[in-house]
Amino acid sequence: MAMSCPVDLDTRRLRDEIRSIYARVAAEPSGEFHFHRGPDYAAEFLRYDRAALAELPDESTASFAGVANPHRMGPFGEGAVVVDIGCGAGMDLMLAAKRVGPRGRAIGVDMTEAMADKARASAREAGLENLEVRLGDAMSLPLDDASADVVISNGVLNLTTDKSVAYGEVFRVLKAGGRFLYADIVVASELSEGIRKDIDLWTG
Amino acid sequence: MLGQVGFRAVEVRERFDTFRGTSKERIARKYGVVGVNVFAQKPQ
Repeated sequence: MAMSCPVDLDTRRLRDEIRSIYARVAAEPSGEFHFHRGPDYAAEFLRYDRAALAELPDESTASFAGVANPHRMGPFGEGAVVVDIGCGAGMDLMLAAKRVGPRGRAIGVDMTEAMADKARASAREAGLENLEVRLGDAMSLPLDDASADVVISNGVLNLTTDKSVAYGEVFRVLKAGGRFLYADIVVASELSEGIRKDIDLWTG
Repeated sequence: MLGQVGFRAVEVRERFDTFRGTSKERIARKYGVVGVNVFAQKPQ
């Protein structure tokens, strides 16, 4: 898959388009998009636990737009600090908060204000007090060095314009021995320059 | 690239047919686009 943008891709336009699309997903998750959303998709396509999803607020699960399932890569550990990069409406983040228990902490980071607000509201509704959401960017995480036991991310880092910077940020915030449970899309074939410059495909 | 920033034990653990049934299914199949779970660890 492409690891950095073509030189002449309009990265500002790409960021604006990403913000716009995910603000629409937050406001109207049942609208027309070229990717799946919601708890039925998560359970059927990505093997999430339906019972665990049913315990979360509908507002959060309806806007879920992940592409794989970081929760299937082993336990997080009771009391762990988990960071979710691009937490969206908070479905993965709330599942993480439940898995680490009251002594643990789940910190979500999202660059879309509408999504961050939705995640905070859902966490309040679910009564989860070990969770916070910070506005921020995967290319410059609002977190201290070596502060996380586990970093998760679901369908977000493929949207960044320089993967090496984003991966470096994950490495920086993880403690020694910390795990990166990374859910994303990969491309098996080499892409043409035209496809790599297509904003619609980057944001899909 | 994960290895280049210092991660170890990098491994694709699982694949998902993420775009099945979407308007992008044809292009996803053409280029082999799938969802993946990837594990990586920062050294001790």
